[in-house]
Amino acid sequence: MKGEGRALLRLMAIQGAWSYERMIGIGMGFSAAPLLGDLEQAEPARHREATARSAEFFNCHPYLAGLALGASVRAEQEGVAGAQIQRLRTALCSPLGALGDQVFWAGLVPILMSLSLAAIALGGGGGVLVAVVLGYNLVRVLVTRWALRTGLASGVQVGRAVSSSWLPRAAAKVAVPAGLTAGLAIPLTAAWLLAARPDGAGLLAGASAGVAWLLLRFGGGRMTSLRVGLMFAVVILLWTRFAP
Amino acid sequence: MITASVGILVVLLLWGTLVGIDLVSVPQGLLARPLIAATVAGWLLGDLHTGIRVGALLELFALDVLPVGASRYPEYGPASVGAVLLAVGLDRPGGIGAGVLLGLLLALLAGYTLEWLRHANARDVHRTEDELNAGSVAAIRRLQWAGITRDLVRSAGVTAGALLLATVGIARIGEAASLPAALTPALVGVGVAAALSGAVRNAGRGRRLLWLGIGLAAGLALVLGGVA
Repeated sequence: MKGEGRALLRLMAIQGAWSYERMIGIGMGFSAAPLLGDLEQAEPARHREATARSAEFFNCHPYLAGLALGASVRAEQEGVAGAQIQRLRTALCSPLGALGDQVFWAGLVPILMSLSLAAIALGGGGGVLVAVVLGYNLVRVLVTRWALRTGLASGVQVGRAVSSSWLPRAAAKVAVPAGLTAGLAIPLTAAWLLAARPDGAGLLAGASAGVAWLLLRFGGGRMTSLRVGLMFAVVILLWTRFAP
Repeated sequence: MITASVGILVVLLLWGTLVGIDLVSVPQGLLARPLIAATVAGWLLGDLHTGIRVGALLELFALDVLPVGASRYPEYGPASVGAVLLAVGLDRPGGIGAGVLLGLLLALLAGYTLEWLRHANARDVHRTEDELNAGSVAAIRRLQWAGITRDLVRSAGVTAGALLLATVGIARIGEAASLPAALTPALVGVGVAAALSGAVRNAGRGRRLLWLGIGLAAGLALVLGGVA
């Protein structure tokens, strides 16, 4: 479709104007513009309406936004009623957000970072990280392109296309390797970071891990890992400064 | 004590800015992960080893964070760049712990600037409401570029602050003071708890939790077997 390449490029920056007001709505409108070009010449009034709709409130996982974008552009070109297109966008928000978060933020990213940590601890160098970044970005581009094309091909039937695609299966399966790789990486990374440290460092790290775990588990929502880390650091600095 | 040249600081500023906009705006391609951001910073400073170690420790903390939607989360990217500068600059045992401590502090503060960015973008949208409702492509384009520019400026500011604090830290701590030896092991411990906490939350219950346990057992076996 005309403008598909430019839309794909713009989808890479879909969160560029992320706001509490419209979330990724402006990015959706920005990405839709090249695809709505034909409508501008054929039906200027309809184009203005479609453009306004494309930038309305929308939120989902950024890598999967192309599904909603492609589907709504196709619906606009087929003359589907505006209210139905708005309902389609609203219906896609939650599932595309949940699927994307599961597959990427809670799945692929932790898997790759855990594998990187484990590989480094086992003697791999910076080359591992170059390969991981290149591989991840290739996946990111391919997924974004697949999402846009699937949306454009499916129109208002995009929900059916998503449910019969690889996406729900991946979301269901990704947690197992995510857990396995995280479990593998944590002790390896800790041992690597503590290697060649004086006696007692491992014991101190173990005790810190135990207390921090209890604080994170039972300390309530405000007790984040970052705050616990800062608390421990302050205690150690004070102890070093004032201990007899 | 090692001090970085102005040229290297400028390159670090550019890298930190790129890492900062990668988190949310563009391209979201893993550059903002502390392990990546810190390793590249270490390489730029001529000390890849320290960069990877600082990055690995901060990555354990970052594994506890799920950067979804409108939630508030720390920003580890530019913070990692400042952390590595401090660790490399101090160049002695305990430097990594000091760098990571600075990194944690900066990540917390940088998280607040993301909220400022979102509110600033929202105000911009408010002002352009009529044009948006009229279907103005120009207004959408203007808002999008303004958002990206704002994030660029924010990321550059956060990175500049991180580099400034690291430089001041190197000068203030100087050659004289010894660094607390307990800092790094304690932070490794908290990092382990953080990563485990994130992994347990992601795994949920049942079979998934079992696989996390299998991974942990395998990792521990490798450590105890002397492989790692």
